[in-house]
Amino acid sequence: MRARTSRRMTQTQAAYALLLPFLAVYALFLIYPFFHGIWISLHDWNLLAVAFNPDAKEFVGLRNYERVMWGRNIEWSLFAVPFWQVLGLIGLVLSVVLRLGDKLSRFNAIALGILSVLLIVIPGFHPGEGGRWFDRRFWPTVGNTLVFVGLAVPGVTISALLLAAAVNRETRAMSALRTLFFLSQVLSVTVVTLIWQIMFSPRQGLIANITQAVGGTPINWLTDQQFAMAAIVIATIWWSLGIAMILFLAGLQDISKDLYEAAALDNATGARAFWYITLPNLKRTITVVVILQIILHFQVFGQSHLMTQGGPNDSTQVLVRYIYQTGFRDSELGRASAMAVFLFVIMGCFSIIQFVVGREKAE
Amino acid sequence: MKHVLLIAAATALIATESVAQEITLGRFFGACEDAGTDTTTSAGEACIIQSIINAADAELDGISINTLPTDWGNYYDQIKAAYAGGTPPDVHVMHRHRIPEFAGLGALAEISGELEAAGIDASDWSPAALDAVSYNGGIYGVPMDFHANLWHVNMDIMEAAGLVENGAPVLPTSPAEMMEHAAMVKEATGQDYLAADFAQFPIGVRLVLALMWQQNANIFTDDGTATINTEAGKNAVEAITQLFDAGFANPQLNYADSQQAFLNGEAAVLVNGTWVVDFYSAEAAKEEVALDNYYVADFPTLFETGATWADSHMWAIPASLEGAEREAALKVLAFINDHNIDWARTGHMSVRQSVVDSEAYQSLPHRDEYTGTAAIARDTPPSARYGAIQDVLNRELQAIWLTDKPVEAALQDAEFEVQDLLDR
Amino acid sequence: MSRSYYWLVTALAVPAFIWLVPTIWMVSLSFQPNDVLARTTSSTAFGLIPLPFTWDNYAALFSFGQTPGWFLNSLIVAVGMTLGVLAVSTTAGYALARLEFPFKKTITVICLIGLMVPEQAVFIPLYTMFADFGWHNSYHALILPRMAVPIGVFLMMQFFRAIPKDIEEAARLDGVTWLRIFWYVMLPLARPAMMTLAILTFLYAWNDYLWPLVSAQQREYFTITLGLASIQSNFAQSEGLGRVMASGVIASLPVVILFLIFQRYVVQAMTVGGSKG
Repeated sequence: MRARTSRRMTQTQAAYALLLPFLAVYALFLIYPFFHGIWISLHDWNLLAVAFNPDAKEFVGLRNYERVMWGRNIEWSLFAVPFWQVLGLIGLVLSVVLRLGDKLSRFNAIALGILSVLLIVIPGFHPGEGGRWFDRRFWPTVGNTLVFVGLAVPGVTISALLLAAAVNRETRAMSALRTLFFLSQVLSVTVVTLIWQIMFSPRQGLIANITQAVGGTPINWLTDQQFAMAAIVIATIWWSLGIAMILFLAGLQDISKDLYEAAALDNATGARAFWYITLPNLKRTITVVVILQIILHFQVFGQSHLMTQGGPNDSTQVLVRYIYQTGFRDSELGRASAMAVFLFVIMGCFSIIQFVVGREKAE
Repeated sequence: MKHVLLIAAATALIATESVAQEITLGRFFGACEDAGTDTTTSAGEACIIQSIINAADAELDGISINTLPTDWGNYYDQIKAAYAGGTPPDVHVMHRHRIPEFAGLGALAEISGELEAAGIDASDWSPAALDAVSYNGGIYGVPMDFHANLWHVNMDIMEAAGLVENGAPVLPTSPAEMMEHAAMVKEATGQDYLAADFAQFPIGVRLVLALMWQQNANIFTDDGTATINTEAGKNAVEAITQLFDAGFANPQLNYADSQQAFLNGEAAVLVNGTWVVDFYSAEAAKEEVALDNYYVADFPTLFETGATWADSHMWAIPASLEGAEREAALKVLAFINDHNIDWARTGHMSVRQSVVDSEAYQSLPHRDEYTGTAAIARDTPPSARYGAIQDVLNRELQAIWLTDKPVEAALQDAEFEVQDLLDR
Repeated sequence: MSRSYYWLVTALAVPAFIWLVPTIWMVSLSFQPNDVLARTTSSTAFGLIPLPFTWDNYAALFSFGQTPGWFLNSLIVAVGMTLGVLAVSTTAGYALARLEFPFKKTITVICLIGLMVPEQAVFIPLYTMFADFGWHNSYHALILPRMAVPIGVFLMMQFFRAIPKDIEEAARLDGVTWLRIFWYVMLPLARPAMMTLAILTFLYAWNDYLWPLVSAQQREYFTITLGLASIQSNFAQSEGLGRVMASGVIASLPVVILFLIFQRYVVQAMTVGGSKG
């Protein structure tokens, strides 16, 4: 009996001894900074001034949040941005109808419903008579980030899915192709931007050279507002398609060969088999990949910072770059931290969704 | 020969390293890794400054200099981060316009009492140069140059368009005349009249600012009221957009592209700074470069008063530097000050009267072609938010020429935002 | 093989070519003289074949360039970070997965909540904290923050949970202590998982940009990623396009080689690490 107790004691001690190194760095370099960030966001905190005089910060409560996200005379109306809001309304109606008709799982119905409500509510805010946003750049920056996510995520997902389905064969050629498509994934963001910056250059770029050779006029990819975001998205797809493809390949391995053989008897091969068998069976993987990509691409920084410097006319300015600039160019750590907290909240929401989806799979 | 020098430099470095006071030096201007120590033959901003630094490293006893990263993009972000982190470089370059921000916080050392002992003769600086490094009655740095926007001219294109008189280009005296000239150039050669970086760095902003100052206007008053959405602002912007609208200039070129266009003989005029004069002269001399006949002109007066954007590079040391390190840092400043003539070879204007008066300075290539620039040099009123204000202007002006945002709307937005920045 | 298979391979050649071209072009440009590139980047076959050819860019890179130094820094940081992450993750992961102790649930939840905090949400307070400590411009400043990210703990925990209980119970009956079981029994078993985690961490360290950007202002501590970013704006200036591209090639070589050797593990790492964020 005594032996048991002492053994249990050692187990506890051993556990804490093993946990201690991680818990120490975790508390010091993640938990504490996280709360400290919130603390900074409640202050008027100039990077340089506080460095020279620690008392130079001033507690301002939630004013940084107001200054970043709110404005003077902000009003809300149902049809400020009709397109998105009507889309939201349609989504809301759909989620209710489909749920009542039992065409949608409860989780999906709730997700669609929340998304729709957000679509109705958020774009509805706008400055009223004589009013304006305190920070005119913040919401457009969030918008740009969403546009980037909205283009990059489907771009990566669809191309990765198609490629994965195509190279999912155990032959030497296919294995070489898998390696090839994955290879760019291991390059660093600065190498990727280095390559694509020069690829897109209207004078020195390969794309421009080829365009000119076939008699076209080169596009100013990175300085034309119509193309700058597209250019960044293209570079991103080229870069980050690998992970998605690998995840899809893993998902494809799980689909039983029998299903395809059975389908082949019904004359469903090729594209039809892809549509009727592959897609439905990959639903979970697709969801995981999409959420992952959203989280990943919401944090985009390097592509925008290095390829376009956020331009032209702020059209590729993204949230993380704005945080960086506000903090380190404008020295306003308080405001920057408020934006960082906003970023955390959004990413946190997606993490929770990811967690829930992951659990559904486990069940 | 080059190799011998390099080996000499390398051995000197190794030999002195053990006892030397190490000075970290922060600068932009870009990298030049094989600059050597010969300050009299290097070419281009990056290599000239690096050769001066290398020479200081080799010649100053007991001092070794470690040059920090040299890129433009994140320079001020990084310097700020370094100050805030308590590890600022011992010596660093900065622009005159940043003094209010850095000196205002007490980051920079006030050095007026130490100049003489270090062998720097402040009375040799021109009054404008002294003014550039002064803040609230103190001296916070050693000025290195004045730099300003110039018109770099391709004389062959101008000649073809009939715009050359007595060996000098005929430049416009009003926006309307500029359009006439542009049309003549297009007609005669099919090339653009004007090129500049309108899409990346704030060179377009500096152009518009100059045109506003030429109308005796400014973007904000000394008491902190933004005045951008004005008649003068509109005139200035439209003087430029008319060129785009008529197809006489391309707003989508960035810095490298606009420079390339000029060197390729695709534009009669390039608006860019003093810092490229020696580079363009060297390029023009090359067989394979289309630009052959290169001329430099003062920024022409299109409205009432002559004005062109100008700024100053200067060297400062952090207030926290003390003792032997501070002495060593001042020696480096003195060395740079002594080599003002070498730096002027870039095309920049010297800050030292003795240099300006010297034969060597006056005989620098093209130097006599832009002697009027010193008199018309201008900048916006001092502000701790200079960088952010430039950014706002750059964004809104780019919106006008790259995305067809209505002029009035862009200027109004710029005015609001600049006012917000001034009020903060 | 059927005919449709060959059709598929042919059809895939197009995307494969598109995927390959940018890389080939970078390599090709790095072998062309700078003064040629200043005039045209499409000398032979749109510049995809390096003619005229030169080694100068690489020679210059290794005689004057800072690239070798940056390279070394990246190596130190990546290896240091990998070892650090492995050390704290395996220990904590094992404790959470296999040992019973008070507050286990609470601690597990606290650890996993950290998965939700993105690097970008904490880099400002981390910056001020490291500034207060005077830690910037050092290797540990570049390494430590990543060690606090619980993804490794999560991965190792998952792995240890899957190991059958009887292995350690046999050892327990022989009176072996927990720490010894961890060291002599569990760690050898965990090698594949550790490999996966190591590769994930190494790739992350090699490619990280935002944190080094704010933390390292001195060139001595530039990583290759940061160094490359710093010379990117200098295309038209003194560096020369060929030199810049050569730096890019050098920066990519180790990760590419690493990938080709450990492809199986990398793919595994991505599958596991990817699906868990």
